[in-house]
Amino acid sequence: MAYPGNAYPGDPYPGNPGNPGYPASAYANWGQRVGAYLLDGLPAWVLIGIGSLFASHSFLIYLLFVLAALAWLVYNRWIQMGNTGQSLGKRTLGIRLVKETTGEPIGAGMAFVRDICHFVDSIICYIGWLFPLWDAKRQTLADKIVGTVVVPA
Amino acid sequence: MPLVVRRGYSVPENLTLAGAAAAVAGSAYPFLLAHDGNHGLPCPLRALTGVPCPLCGMTTATVALAHGEWRAVAAANPFAYLIAALVAATAPVLTARALGWLGPPRPWSPGARRRTGWAVAGLAMASWLVQLHRFGFL
Repeated sequence: MAYPGNAYPGDPYPGNPGNPGYPASAYANWGQRVGAYLLDGLPAWVLIGIGSLFASHSFLIYLLFVLAALAWLVYNRWIQMGNTGQSLGKRTLGIRLVKETTGEPIGAGMAFVRDICHFVDSIICYIGWLFPLWDAKRQTLADKIVGTVVVPA
Repeated sequence: MPLVVRRGYSVPENLTLAGAAAAVAGSAYPFLLAHDGNHGLPCPLRALTGVPCPLCGMTTATVALAHGEWRAVAAANPFAYLIAALVAATAPVLTARALGWLGPPRPWSPGARRRTGWAVAGLAMASWLVQLHRFGFL
């Protein structure tokens, strides 16, 4: 190994058993965040997919499935992620969303506002979604607006 | 505890990794949704306002690049050449890093970060002028 153990002069994170080859990061990386996001969306897309099978048969059943997908979004991304810092995807990928200044979860209301702010990430040709690739705190623009960071759990 | 960024990979390597993931997703995408390759990511700015952004044409340019249609690349978005050069230059470094032949990257100085930021902003402005011309605004 080119850099055994955690022998970094002044390494603020001694001991990194999960990934001994590389030093620990204070922030979750982009790949983890994309994975968590896709996982969060998966149940909703499955629900809408099943519902669309009924769409030509009964619009009401289709609507019920769409509402169920919406309910999942509200529960998973806003209530769960807001109150615990972890949606299904973030829990699976071992990361959590916290307020930058306090390190605490941001609450369901702010989690909702943060998702609304993702509009800003999309309107500039989706560049905002790529910001964690180079940003010093690995924040999207929505994170910067709301004052949140995504950290290893 | 102070929050200190420690990266396993440098920013250009991160971009190449993301680009590689996008290439995989992009090659599967037309088969999932359409077979004509005409379903690129819609530009939200152009969809809402009609004004193109600096990255407009990039899907077309990347597809053309993958097919070796060099002139079509330049017609859609010539800056795709620069991105391809970045990816080509970074891939060996990335591979060496992933195999453990290279240590973790050294952080750039604030001055180098600032200069690179300005250079990228300048390129984005130039690209925007090209796209505004391509869509008849200039």
